[in-house]
Amino acid sequence: MLTGWRDFDEALRTIDRLHRHIDVVFDDRAGVPRGWRRETWPAVNVVETKEAFVYRAEVPGLGEGDVVVQVEDGALLLRGERKTEAPKGYEVHLRERAPVAFARKFPLPGRVDAEGVTATMKDGILTVTLPKAKDTLPRQIAVKAL
Amino acid sequence: MSDTIAVQNNGVARNKQYVQRAITPPVDVFENADEVLVVADVPGAASDQIDVRVENGTLTLEARRAEEGAAPAVAREYDAADYARTFRIPAGVDAANISAEAKNGTVLVRLPKIAAVKPRKIPVRAG
Repeated sequence: MLTGWRDFDEALRTIDRLHRHIDVVFDDRAGVPRGWRRETWPAVNVVETKEAFVYRAEVPGLGEGDVVVQVEDGALLLRGERKTEAPKGYEVHLRERAPVAFARKFPLPGRVDAEGVTATMKDGILTVTLPKAKDTLPRQIAVKAL
Repeated sequence: MSDTIAVQNNGVARNKQYVQRAITPPVDVFENADEVLVVADVPGAASDQIDVRVENGTLTLEARRAEEGAAPAVAREYDAADYARTFRIPAGVDAANISAEAKNGTVLVRLPKIAAVKPRKIPVRAG
């Protein structure tokens, strides 16, 4: 029984998700393992807290100096190179970790305070915290009776 | 500086099943005359959360991942799940001396070969 404007939202969202899955399967570079593609390595999760946007990237094997993090023009850039050479003199039985030179750009969801951006690296996870610009934070407006 | 991981060797494993829902980490396997190397990517797992076990000719690698909190997601490209992968150890590996070290979300396991299987040059004497 249709009772409101939003009744189709859930169905449309599901179809949307299905479309995205189909896109991944029919990607014209399908067949190349996901981790070997420059544009999609590293995998990144983004969350939004009240005061900041937090980007986390899976960068196993990389340390402090191996990633360049830049904020410019409303976008976050992550650049670097992940090397996974076979040690010299060893025969290779299995290779699932590809070397990749990466450069990913993320348009930011809102304005940030560039001076306050911090980036930390721990156990192969790079965490970049971008505090939201102060004037974009919600402001409560007092209502005065006349 | 990598951290050494204590390899549980045919004793009672610390936890029979260390992780619950888990994904398989990508792995490289290399071999030379002296040892077999297994390198796995386990980003998000601290060294003390990585478990390497040798039992009955099987090498099990499991790692628990740090939680990422519940803030609303803007984008999600990876699942912060734990890791687990099991390998059969080939014959000729000295299981008692398997060692492991972890650094930056990567684990390196060294499986030394028993001396008897290392390639040996056999001198040919003129008869």
